[in-house]
Amino acid sequence: MSNVFSFATLRGLVDKWITEGRHVAGPRLVNDRLLYGWLESAGQLTLDGETRPRNSIKEFLFPRHEKLYGYKLGRKRVELTEVAPLEDEQIVIAARPCDAALGPILDHVFNWDYADATYNRRRELTTIVTLACQSFDAQCFCTSVGSGPDDPRGSDVMLHALDEGILEIRCLTEKGRRLFAGQTEPSDLKSDVNGGPEISFDLDKVGEFLESGFEDSQWPELARRCLGCGACAYTCPTCHCFDIVDEGAGGQGERARNWDACQFGMFTLHAAGHNPRSQQAQRQRQRIYHKFRIYPQKFGTLLCTGCGNCTRNCPVGLGVRPLLSAISRKTQPNDES
Amino acid sequence: MIATLRDTCRQLLRDGKVDVVIGYGQDPVGQAFSLSDSTQAKCLGNDRDGPVFPVFIQRPEDVEQLVWNDRCHANLTVYLKRPEIRALGRPAIVVKGCDQRALVVLEKESQLDRSQIYVIGMACDGMCRPKCETCDVHEPRGADVIIGKSASNMTAISADQRYATINAFLARSSSERLAYWRQELARCVKCYACRQVCPMCYCPRCIVDKNRPQVISTSATLKGNFAWHITRAFHLAARCVGCEECTRVCPMGIDLRLLNLSLAQAAEENFAFRAGDDPQAEPVVGSYALQDKESFIQ
Repeated sequence: MSNVFSFATLRGLVDKWITEGRHVAGPRLVNDRLLYGWLESAGQLTLDGETRPRNSIKEFLFPRHEKLYGYKLGRKRVELTEVAPLEDEQIVIAARPCDAALGPILDHVFNWDYADATYNRRRELTTIVTLACQSFDAQCFCTSVGSGPDDPRGSDVMLHALDEGILEIRCLTEKGRRLFAGQTEPSDLKSDVNGGPEISFDLDKVGEFLESGFEDSQWPELARRCLGCGACAYTCPTCHCFDIVDEGAGGQGERARNWDACQFGMFTLHAAGHNPRSQQAQRQRQRIYHKFRIYPQKFGTLLCTGCGNCTRNCPVGLGVRPLLSAISRKTQPNDES
Repeated sequence: MIATLRDTCRQLLRDGKVDVVIGYGQDPVGQAFSLSDSTQAKCLGNDRDGPVFPVFIQRPEDVEQLVWNDRCHANLTVYLKRPEIRALGRPAIVVKGCDQRALVVLEKESQLDRSQIYVIGMACDGMCRPKCETCDVHEPRGADVIIGKSASNMTAISADQRYATINAFLARSSSERLAYWRQELARCVKCYACRQVCPMCYCPRCIVDKNRPQVISTSATLKGNFAWHITRAFHLAARCVGCEECTRVCPMGIDLRLLNLSLAQAAEENFAFRAGDDPQAEPVVGSYALQDKESFIQ
């Protein structure tokens, strides 16, 4: 026995939520490209087409630019103004499982030595309705990092597209149940089990390599084509580095946090001029180590969901899957140099 | 064509004429996956064979990694500025006609010594990009060797054809155009992929990275994004060769081509200059004439 409802019902609900003043985000076509964005109406919601959006739902929990507080310099003191507390509920609809998983992953780092109030507040206010994947492209590798096309991690609701405009719905949390209460009906229809993309690399081998491969002489070759942009990090569901900036003029302005990325040369540049990661290969190595060794050691979970956006958006086809595939083909680190 | 390319590169490496060949390679993905409707066209990126990417071949036996097909999008000349590639020694570089134009500008701006680079020009009938529709360099100029022969019609492309897209855009009212850019640039996340793939963006420290003081806002807000894209456009005026790599790589799908076309049109109409077209022509930015009607130049 399953519960189902129609696409038409879903669209009706989305319009109702928007009318009620809730912020609803989902995949929409922008210049023929599928991107997550805020929806102005349910008509913009796009459930088919490309395998997954080229950005991630990270934006809705951890915005690319966020004002922390305002400041005004007085003669003897600095006057600070708080940002109004977040109150609006938000719903992400048709997230992919590889996006939805970011919550449980990032909760660790945003509550580790300091509980990040705005991140946590956005998490509370957000309901994530996930659409299980039916198709994969050459860059998908969720199955290689222990996930899959219907991984429920981080989702409040899981939808499976059935034939003829019908969706099977599984409410996984109380938040999810509240959202769809009374909207679904029981049915005998059931979604097909879907194996997901073929495994691209052996995670155990990758782990072994990273254990002693920090100084491996092959990093420069593996990373050689990287051009040092932040397309991988900024479209990654789990990359979460940020920079704190003061912006203003005439003695007043705001302190804000902006996304930052470890592939930029400026990322680790010290004020004195020294840069501990002066080479691009060191920056690529850092990205892999952070995701597959440092974060798991510290928080017990990989900092990667296998979405493949790093490669999909890389100008030169680099990213986690190509790098780890190359690494897992090696039996052991090569220390000769 | 691919056999000739590989033979040429093998020979260059064997003879010690070059230390590295900068070319294109491709990983066969070899896994079954369902193609969604929009990717069925042969011209789109997420394809059966995996993406084409730059490779750096240093040994004659590795030339088999080289490929040549209609997905060899990247403008490889961008690597000539990168220290880790320069460290590999004297390069041979695989270029399409459009990419070669970047070499002309870079040489004119004293960014490279052309005699130290072996240029392998590939005849190209198009990479399924918008720029290919008005291409007039199907066979690269100024290359040390040309591989293949283009089947494309080599009749001249008129300025009207070249700027049809931007003329259509400029026909819209200024408020419509502003609304368009507000909507488009709002999506920019400031990943700087546009800058990093650009052969002309070779400043060791970009103005947006100068933070003492911070001149250009680093925030990916509408204001910060306008500041970035306008600044970049001005820096590329009469220098951009129209390879459209910035447009291809933008993860947010912003059509930066419109800005580039507008700049190119201004240079052609006002100065009869096309960046990268004529190695003899004096660059618009970087040269001056005492007869200039503007007094500040004298």
